[in-house]
Amino acid sequence: MNAVEIKNLSKNFGSKQAVCGLDMTVPMGSIYGFIGENGSGKSTTEKMICGLIPTSGGSIKLYGKDYTDESVRAKMGVLIESPGCFPGLTVFDNMMLQAANLSIPDAEKEVIKVLKTVRMEGAAGNKYKNCSLGMKQRVGIAMALLGNPTLLVLDEPLNGLDADGMRIMREVFCNVVKDGTRSIIVSSHLLGELQKVATHYGIIRHGKMIVEMTADDLDASCRTYVALQAEEMNRTKMLLGYKYSRVEEDEAGYLRVYDLTTPEEIVTYLYENSICVTEIKTDKIGLEEYYIDLMKEGK
Amino acid sequence: MEGSVKFEIFGFGKRLKSMLKVDFRRMLKSRLFYILIACALLVPIVMTVMLTMMDGQESVNQQTGEVTIMEGPDSTWQSIGTLPSDEPAATDASAVGGMGAMGGMDVMSMCNINMAFMGVAVFVCLFISEDFRSGYAKNLFTVRARKGEYVISKTLVGFVCGALMLIAYFIGAMLGGAISSLSFELVGGLTVGNIVMCMIAKIFLMFVFVSIFTLISVAAKQKAWLSICGSLGGGMLLFMMVSMITPLNSTLINVALCLVGGLLFALGLGAISRVVLKKTSLV
Repeated sequence: MNAVEIKNLSKNFGSKQAVCGLDMTVPMGSIYGFIGENGSGKSTTEKMICGLIPTSGGSIKLYGKDYTDESVRAKMGVLIESPGCFPGLTVFDNMMLQAANLSIPDAEKEVIKVLKTVRMEGAAGNKYKNCSLGMKQRVGIAMALLGNPTLLVLDEPLNGLDADGMRIMREVFCNVVKDGTRSIIVSSHLLGELQKVATHYGIIRHGKMIVEMTADDLDASCRTYVALQAEEMNRTKMLLGYKYSRVEEDEAGYLRVYDLTTPEEIVTYLYENSICVTEIKTDKIGLEEYYIDLMKEGK
Repeated sequence: MEGSVKFEIFGFGKRLKSMLKVDFRRMLKSRLFYILIACALLVPIVMTVMLTMMDGQESVNQQTGEVTIMEGPDSTWQSIGTLPSDEPAATDASAVGGMGAMGGMDVMSMCNINMAFMGVAVFVCLFISEDFRSGYAKNLFTVRARKGEYVISKTLVGFVCGALMLIAYFIGAMLGGAISSLSFELVGGLTVGNIVMCMIAKIFLMFVFVSIFTLISVAAKQKAWLSICGSLGGGMLLFMMVSMITPLNSTLINVALCLVGGLLFALGLGAISRVVLKKTSLV
């Protein structure tokens, strides 16, 4: 059984088709990185999963049940676009409202526990409108975590978080899925951060799922490259360009050789051409580069 | 591992209880609620005192030279409704309101306890639109597949607020009457029972208005200005009906009429509100 199973989902806003024929599978116990450009249909899909906008076609199943099933929906946590708090109320009052909404028995204790998880217990008495962007985001995640949800749908949860906040969220996400039954769908443009936690990925474009894969699949499909620094970088680049089909300079000033080769082969080749290599390493492209490459291919 | 995922099914009663808990908690934390109750309490005091102070003042029309004598209210009960027609003070429209004739309508027959029906429109519209503006509707509806309890809860909260406003206005009117030394005498066959029935009928009639305001608000969602304009406009169409259905000399028939009407409106419009929520985007 999968946590989320979407078949042929579509959504039209008038004549504009926001999502068309989308298939998506989120296995139980996974952290599903949902990636796509702005306006690709991520948020619309997430809103349909949460039942916030009606679908135009297709089916959504959550834990084997229709997405309109109230028992499954009662065990969902959500953070879409904004945390959904009343500005005039305190963080604690907002949390207590959501606890009442979820019929949590020992609400006060649960609220304090969740606020502690996101390190916001000290700001519980602050009015929500006086919180910073990062604090609001933490409150939003805390609200989503209330009541031990089985499925979390988080849209850009890492926006506005500082380094510590991101580390905490990584911990939180990993703890949530630890038991193997609870799942998280998380969309983010911070692909580097997403790669640190995601176990599965789905890449959407123009409302269609273009690829779904596991983190292992991504690892296997990410091309390896040799990165090096040498004396006379321009000449080195020129020489490498004669022998290898793709040589690029990265932001850190390294020359990257993408063809299948070994560092030894490159060092020997450059040495024969009187160039001394000062640093050399092999690496793999990350999610971000994989995604950019995929988007370029699509174009 | 797969078998360990269990989902609890909540009954309608539990779902409604949790929704009511959210809304009443919010209402009691809302500044607007207290402001409206305070207004409902203070407006009749200020109005009665001011109109009584103006009693007997003469104003001259510069063009016609006609002299109008301001007459204040004669009875405290005029803040609740127009006195029965056989009561001498009510026969002359210019005398009842204390501000002279206003195209056949006196001030007290318009600016009385029935203004609470308009006040509650502001409350219901802002209360519901705040759900959508703050984004809290996303948290609410994600965990609630059914929309019925949302509509019921909002209608009940609006009803309670409206009922409290009516009671506050009643208390304010009594205080205003006492401060202005107005008569509390029940004339024209009026009894305490009639006044109690009148108040109960008005409270039941609140269901009709709140259901309309709820429907307009769930349709307008975050656009508070639209729902307020729509509700006040819609409310004005029914406003004249209030004094006819709930006169000061109301009987059980008036109460029954308001109760049945209120429930029918609440059920009918509530069902429409539910469909509106189901068929439209909630964000």
